[in-house]
Amino acid sequence: MTATEPRTTQTTGSNGANGDGHQIGRSVSRIDAIDKVTGRARYANDLHLTGMCHAAFLRSPYGHARIKSIDTSEAEKLHGVVAVIHAATLARDMASVVEEEMHAARRVVKLFPGEGETVKYQGMKVAAVAAVTKEIAEEACDRIRVEYEVRPALVDVRDSIKDDAVLINEDSKPADPLPDGPWAGMALKNVAGQNHRADGDVEAGFKESDKVFEDTYVIPRAHQTYIEPHVSVAEVAPDGKVTVYTSTQGHFAVRSNLANSLRMPISKINVVGMTIGGGFGAKFGGVVDAYAVLLAQKANRPVKINYTREEEFLDGRPAPGAVIHVKTGVTKDGFIKARQVWALWDTGSGSGGCGATSRVKGVYKYDHFKMDAYDVNTNKPAPGAYRAPGAPQATLAGEAQINKICAEMGWDPVEFRLKNMREGEQLAFKETLKAAAEKAGWSTRKKGENEGWGVAVGEWTNGGGPASAIVSLHEDGRVRVFYGLMDITGTDTAMAQIAAEVLGVRYEDVTVVRGDTDSAPFGTASGGSVVTFSFGNAVKRAAEDARNRVLEQAAEHLEAAKEDLELKDGKITVKGNPESSVSFAQVGQMALRSKGGPIVGRGSFASEPSATTIAVNIAKVRVDPETGKVELLEIYNSLDVGKAINPMACEGQMEGGLVQGFAWGLMEQMRYAPDGRNLNAGLLDYRVPTALDFPDLETVLVEEPTKNGPFGVKGIGEPPIAPGVACLVAAVADATGKWIHEVPLTPERVLSALKS
Amino acid sequence: MNQLVTLNVNNESYPIVVEGRTRLLDALRDKCLLTGAKEGCSTGDCGACTVLVDGQPVTSCMVLAVSAQDKKITTVEGVAKGSELHPVQKAFMECGALQCGICTPGMIMTSIALLNENPKPTRDEIRFGLQGNLCRCTGYDKIVDAVEQAAQLQNAK
Repeated sequence: MTATEPRTTQTTGSNGANGDGHQIGRSVSRIDAIDKVTGRARYANDLHLTGMCHAAFLRSPYGHARIKSIDTSEAEKLHGVVAVIHAATLARDMASVVEEEMHAARRVVKLFPGEGETVKYQGMKVAAVAAVTKEIAEEACDRIRVEYEVRPALVDVRDSIKDDAVLINEDSKPADPLPDGPWAGMALKNVAGQNHRADGDVEAGFKESDKVFEDTYVIPRAHQTYIEPHVSVAEVAPDGKVTVYTSTQGHFAVRSNLANSLRMPISKINVVGMTIGGGFGAKFGGVVDAYAVLLAQKANRPVKINYTREEEFLDGRPAPGAVIHVKTGVTKDGFIKARQVWALWDTGSGSGGCGATSRVKGVYKYDHFKMDAYDVNTNKPAPGAYRAPGAPQATLAGEAQINKICAEMGWDPVEFRLKNMREGEQLAFKETLKAAAEKAGWSTRKKGENEGWGVAVGEWTNGGGPASAIVSLHEDGRVRVFYGLMDITGTDTAMAQIAAEVLGVRYEDVTVVRGDTDSAPFGTASGGSVVTFSFGNAVKRAAEDARNRVLEQAAEHLEAAKEDLELKDGKITVKGNPESSVSFAQVGQMALRSKGGPIVGRGSFASEPSATTIAVNIAKVRVDPETGKVELLEIYNSLDVGKAINPMACEGQMEGGLVQGFAWGLMEQMRYAPDGRNLNAGLLDYRVPTALDFPDLETVLVEEPTKNGPFGVKGIGEPPIAPGVACLVAAVADATGKWIHEVPLTPERVLSALKS
Repeated sequence: MNQLVTLNVNNESYPIVVEGRTRLLDALRDKCLLTGAKEGCSTGDCGACTVLVDGQPVTSCMVLAVSAQDKKITTVEGVAKGSELHPVQKAFMECGALQCGICTPGMIMTSIALLNENPKPTRDEIRFGLQGNLCRCTGYDKIVDAVEQAAQLQNAK
């Protein structure tokens, strides 16, 4: 293996070039920063179309109930109401919405439940109204009369699988009973999906082990809590053409969702992706867009849906909770031999997620692994993707238990991991762990009273998605990148840096233009850490194509061979003869009159995954023995980024993800009453971290290139969230001697563990 | 009931018609067409709608427009001097203190008020001052860097 030295990239806040002329590896400001600091960036909610109306939803007040009747007549009479829709008003073949999400199952759900059907969670949409003002739309919703017959609700997956449990999806069949594990022989009702895997022979592995550990970990649902709620604005042209302006991570994904749910060809739908105020996996369509279109069609006016924060908590698509039982066998000389996992994922009224149980396997070399994992229905909204979907939950079980094993066996948790980690070409697991450990001073770490240290690693392999881009040269010498990428993490900036690097111009000389779905060539949605990898490859290829044309044009002008030319500093020069050169602007102008025509490069990339990367967290905490409050004292993190196109942006991804991970372990949980009512549908009660909750973060980038990534790029958006929960549990155990198996580690939970 | 009020926003007068219940946030966004202040929660918890009223940061979703008459309102659109950005804006750009940007206008307004009150804050004081503004992208570290850098920029003047 050809590991590069782990490299620490210092954040300087410097905006200048790094001196060697390279455009990648520069910590430049985001290309959209100027619009965002001045208030000019246009988000979907900033849009106001002429004649635009506003929507409101009537939602189920119950966690589980059968609808006996719906009467909208009083709502329709209200002055100012322009459209009322519910199950009975929709064409039969239109009454479903297809939700396709990154790393979540494709599922078909009805837009609204009708009379005789059931509402499956509090906040489920029953009807929608558009009116000239939002207040009138809300008033109209209040006038809709719905009669319900309340049913018993299920809020814990361990109750949902029981023999006497009510069925949430009435057509679901019980899964085959399990032969072993905590739920052996049970009915397994309300199972909405399952995933099984068996590598080697776990029974043999446990026999070879000197000691076997078994633990059950419980992690609640968490909400992505993007600060911008879902917004969608739809308008319909007289010929039926639909245009949707929306807050999304993937406008092509929204288009295909709409085509499926509205039974329309994609050519009749144009989706304009506005600046997005955070997504973290939740914004791939399915939540608001189809309703906006249906209301706009019925009203024959543009309609805006602007979710409230309460609606986000009641009817968003949060991350599933999970109950994960893990059994691990180790030898007394410190090697893992086998792991077996049983998992129930809380997928609410939907499905998708249990496959992530695979991540309990971790980054370790051992032969025997077996898992039986289930999506289980509860009376909560369907789940969505949340940054490294399923990884924080699975990593809690996998990694917190590794720490527990180390503590009980007297092993150092860093050394144990180094000893068991997989190695291989393009992998830098050990280097990445060592880099964080070194930064944290792990081998000489000290702790005071009630203080403790934790470490955990999370892995991720980004997939690839199809991506395409066009790179052209304008007559003023500026380079333009055009594509259909939705920028959530700073990827436009990275793409400009990649194009600049290939063409030998400055990053500042590149303009990035994002097209809507009518104009842009196809590109995958921004999620799963695929974008810098996939679009980066497409942009690099397009820039290389354009470069070739630039060289042809310059060669003709300079009367030199293409091979003898170099592109640097915005000029094309004959090697060894600096006098003989031509500028990009001149080449751009000449091309207009040349045989080859204007300079346009094309690049496409098809789906393929990169090499695996890991994120490492190390934390020092203090636990107040009087109150149970956990204070984060020091946090170190490292990540193998492959190649940092923009180190400052990489750090931003790592730190943002890290805080989300720790927050899930420390404070975040969606809480439900036994009847299915959500108990914390607001930011006062669903606590996300503030600046006060975290110390300064020490962030280290490691660069072990992947062969098929542009310049070696690995996907880095997802992995930073994975290890935080496990790291925190381990640190609190080190401080208190108590292993707590359920998160978040709220003061009351920690205090009760201290008293046990 | 509709009433005519005049808001003084970024040193310009906006005569607008509002209802008694109209929030300052809606008056700014829908009537003055200044959409820089963002709505994240409508309950005063996220800080995305923060503007300055007589120099003090307030969550404009919790203030009635009528009560802001005769006061000096500053929004993110009003902090640059022409094309010269405010030091806080510059520092946010340079330090990578923004990602999705939806919290940024509120963060910037709170940071400006913080530095007006305390021109040389420690990192802990910055964290304390920003606790009413939620950011879900950055993990806050680079925002604290930016406020620190803005303080240096301002103090160097």
